[in-house]
Amino acid sequence: MNKVTKALLIGTGAAAGFFGVTFTVYFFNLDMKLTALMEPIFLNHYDKIKKDSHL
Amino acid sequence: MRDLKHLIYFENLLVNSDNELIQQAKKDGKICAAYTCENVPEPLLNLDGVFSARLRAPRTGSMEMGTYYMTSLLCEYSRALLERALEGGFNFADCVISPDGCSMMNRCVENMEMLHTMDGGKDKFFYEFMEIPMKCDDNGLNLYVVQCQNHILKPLAETFGIDTSDAALREAVKKHNHLCEVIQQIGEFRKEENPRITGYEFCVLTMASFVTPYDLIIGKLEETLEEVKKRKPEKENPYRVRLAVVGSEVDDVDYIKLIEECGAYVCVDRYCMGSFPGRVPIEMNDEEDALTQICRHYMNMGQCPRYMSTNKLKGRKKYVDQLAREYNADGIIYEQIKFCDPWAYEKMMGGFVLEENYGFPVLQVDRPYNIDAGAGQMRTRVQAFIESIEIKKIQKGGEK
Amino acid sequence: MAKKTGAEALGRFYTGGKVRSRREWRGFKDTMYDYSRWLVIMGTLGKFIIKPRNIKAMFRYRWMANYLAVPMMVDRHTQGLRGEYLRMCHVEQDLIIDDVAKLLDNLFRGDRRIGNDKEFSKKVVLVDENEMTAVMMGFPTLKTLSRETPSTYVPVLLNQHAVEYYLDKIEEFGLAPDVCPMPAAEAGVSVDDDAPILGACAIQCNTTCDGSLLSNGVISKRLEEDGIPVFQIGAPLRHREDDVQEYAAQEIRNAIAFIEEHTGAKWDWKEYFECARRVNVATRSRMEWLDMNRTEYPQVFGSNLALYTETNYMAICGRIPAFEKADRKLCKLAEQAYAKKNMMAREYRHRAIVWGVQSHYYFDFLLWILNCWGIVPLTDMLSMVSTKIIAEEDTPENREQAYYDMAWLTENMIMRNRTHGGYKVLLDELWEFVDQFNADMVILWEHTSCKALDGMHGMFEDRAREKGVHLVWVEHDLFDPRIVSRQGVRDQINSYMRTVFNEEPLDPSLEILDDANSW
Repeated sequence: MNKVTKALLIGTGAAAGFFGVTFTVYFFNLDMKLTALMEPIFLNHYDKIKKDSHL
Repeated sequence: MRDLKHLIYFENLLVNSDNELIQQAKKDGKICAAYTCENVPEPLLNLDGVFSARLRAPRTGSMEMGTYYMTSLLCEYSRALLERALEGGFNFADCVISPDGCSMMNRCVENMEMLHTMDGGKDKFFYEFMEIPMKCDDNGLNLYVVQCQNHILKPLAETFGIDTSDAALREAVKKHNHLCEVIQQIGEFRKEENPRITGYEFCVLTMASFVTPYDLIIGKLEETLEEVKKRKPEKENPYRVRLAVVGSEVDDVDYIKLIEECGAYVCVDRYCMGSFPGRVPIEMNDEEDALTQICRHYMNMGQCPRYMSTNKLKGRKKYVDQLAREYNADGIIYEQIKFCDPWAYEKMMGGFVLEENYGFPVLQVDRPYNIDAGAGQMRTRVQAFIESIEIKKIQKGGEK
Repeated sequence: MAKKTGAEALGRFYTGGKVRSRREWRGFKDTMYDYSRWLVIMGTLGKFIIKPRNIKAMFRYRWMANYLAVPMMVDRHTQGLRGEYLRMCHVEQDLIIDDVAKLLDNLFRGDRRIGNDKEFSKKVVLVDENEMTAVMMGFPTLKTLSRETPSTYVPVLLNQHAVEYYLDKIEEFGLAPDVCPMPAAEAGVSVDDDAPILGACAIQCNTTCDGSLLSNGVISKRLEEDGIPVFQIGAPLRHREDDVQEYAAQEIRNAIAFIEEHTGAKWDWKEYFECARRVNVATRSRMEWLDMNRTEYPQVFGSNLALYTETNYMAICGRIPAFEKADRKLCKLAEQAYAKKNMMAREYRHRAIVWGVQSHYYFDFLLWILNCWGIVPLTDMLSMVSTKIIAEEDTPENREQAYYDMAWLTENMIMRNRTHGGYKVLLDELWEFVDQFNADMVILWEHTSCKALDGMHGMFEDRAREKGVHLVWVEHDLFDPRIVSRQGVRDQINSYMRTVFNEEPLDPSLEILDDANSW
């Protein structure tokens, strides 16, 4: 297997891997499922911030 | 105290929109220019041959038709006016002049127009909508002048042949100022520690001056001023605290009565249809044209929250502080008619600033147009406020 | 497979939680296209969050948490779309996302709490979110930034519950709960000390309603405390009257002088007329789309029309060249689809004009009525803005005319051009549009705390009866789904369609959705 073929194969494999992972994330909405888990952590954090609330 | 000689007479003028003085003026052949908001310069509607009547709907009960046309979410004042108009209660009017002040009043008068509530059989009837400034500056003043020319003076002159000359305007201001001076002189007695006029009585007199023709009411007001000058107050001050009432449109004298029944003296009135700024005389000079001076007065004195520039925002609170101090108020009631957007914000901001920055105890209340619809709740809140002020006084060793 | 429009039951993705079970399969080509755009969006978000100052802001401002839901907003507005419609939606949405990301980045760069770039801050002019930015068209060296857009306006599009916290906050300070929640939430952000602090000065305007005007007072108080001077443009309410236009133009002149005074920048006529030209491009494009929508084959409508118009017309106002490119792309896609007589849903049953102020927390409702009931939202009130072509050639006469044009645009900002200006623009013109668009029904949003709309309630009813047009009221509270939920909104349509029209839904899975907790 020459270098070009190897590089092509690696490139194709990486692209396929990238596609496989990202498409799975995309299709099964995993990005949103993850951020939905993050939201309460952020809200909890915001509640603890001291602010100068006044009119 | 002895009852004021003409109090019942004045009270009776407030029982119906179509009061006996309006009827009399109409019989005398005068034109009735109805209006709905403090931003319409009153003297311009009181030229020779025309008189102003600020619309109100006393003793309002149900507002089904008003609510059908404007939903239950609009302020009751606007709905009550529409209801009364649909019932024919404003048929005495020959025209309606309304500023596009708040959305609700604007919609109210637009509904009146579309539903032909007052113009049936009156060929000359007109509705006019004015743009009024939202800032107190030269550009705003120019706008005010143009709008008054185009939407008040021009239609009055063209439709009813009213003299709208500079001289006529000056004459109207002269009369207006005299009325204001009489009311202000009566109001001055509210500064006394043991006052010789109640806040309720003063409210009745002021209110009557907004809804009746000048020529027919001024005599009784002058007489009342003389009477008050000689009137003897109660031996002991019957009131527990002195309050300033500040806020949106109040044309229900029973609201002031309710506050005073709770033991508070309403020592100063800074609301639409109150004496501040509605009964502050207009300063005039001979150099500048009368219309510009009138407009400048209304623009500078206007306390409507729709004036949105920073100087006005701050000025409104300062004005309340100034009045409250001048009239020795122990506390301030900031009120709004339920569902009034402008005063919802102004009440919140004013209440906060007057309490935090100026040091006054403040009660913020929503109220129905007709206080009878929520009297119990209002009474409880006012009583609690009075007690809280008293407690504060005790805590400070009786000193204000 | 689900290549065909309407082939997949869209309701089945709702799980009762914040997010949906999966994304839609639209057939190979469209799914791959949607996926590729998703990658681009993720790239935009990644580029944004990689900056330390933006991470810092993420941990400082509560409203930033809503940006976790960006991809889902796009999903909501692309539900059921195929072909050109999907592409149009992405052209718009991706550009809006990019624009908002830049806005956030700039805000945090100048924010005294975050980036604190003082030199940058001196070039910033703050504007209200609901404000026409016409007055900034001749200031290419300045940054026009809105704090309210990213803190309240966009978050509600992302997450229906986004501003409930701020509404509660302002009510804690005594604000009556019956005022419009949009300005109330903006005031809530301000009093809660949750607005970025930056800028050489701020320009406010009495925008759509009394609430909006008054809430500006709350915000300006805080701005002044922070040493940021504020100018209020008092745009006339009766904007169709000739006798207010000189005043309006003078307000613009005064605003420009104020900006020059506080930033040291000089008004640039060349830039102004270039922006004016782009405004005209946008106007012509919108007119073309509306013309198409009058035919049997409408092309740019629903969210595709409403959300884009709101952004392009008001917030952009010719200042960003990328939107001109998008306008042209959208026209091309629309023309293609029109030539092929494409339809956005598999069946069009009713042609509706959507009037009133639409629910912000349920902006994708327009797509829902199409997918669920086959009702085509031909146009909506907020998209029926000025169609006037403004002066775009730099001549001495046009320089004077320009003040009037800017004033006209400012007076005719979205929503304001209908909520103010008398009943003719709100009531009478609706029925003219019904005729022009050959609509058989009017869906009338009744935003419960919008006094200008509520005040015409009975007259809308009377006129609909006179004209024999179906009028469906849909109540909501703009920013607050606790008053009327999304399902509450849908139920009003559902019951009308079943009881009055006696119809069955096109996609029954959409009739009742478990999305009360959803973003």
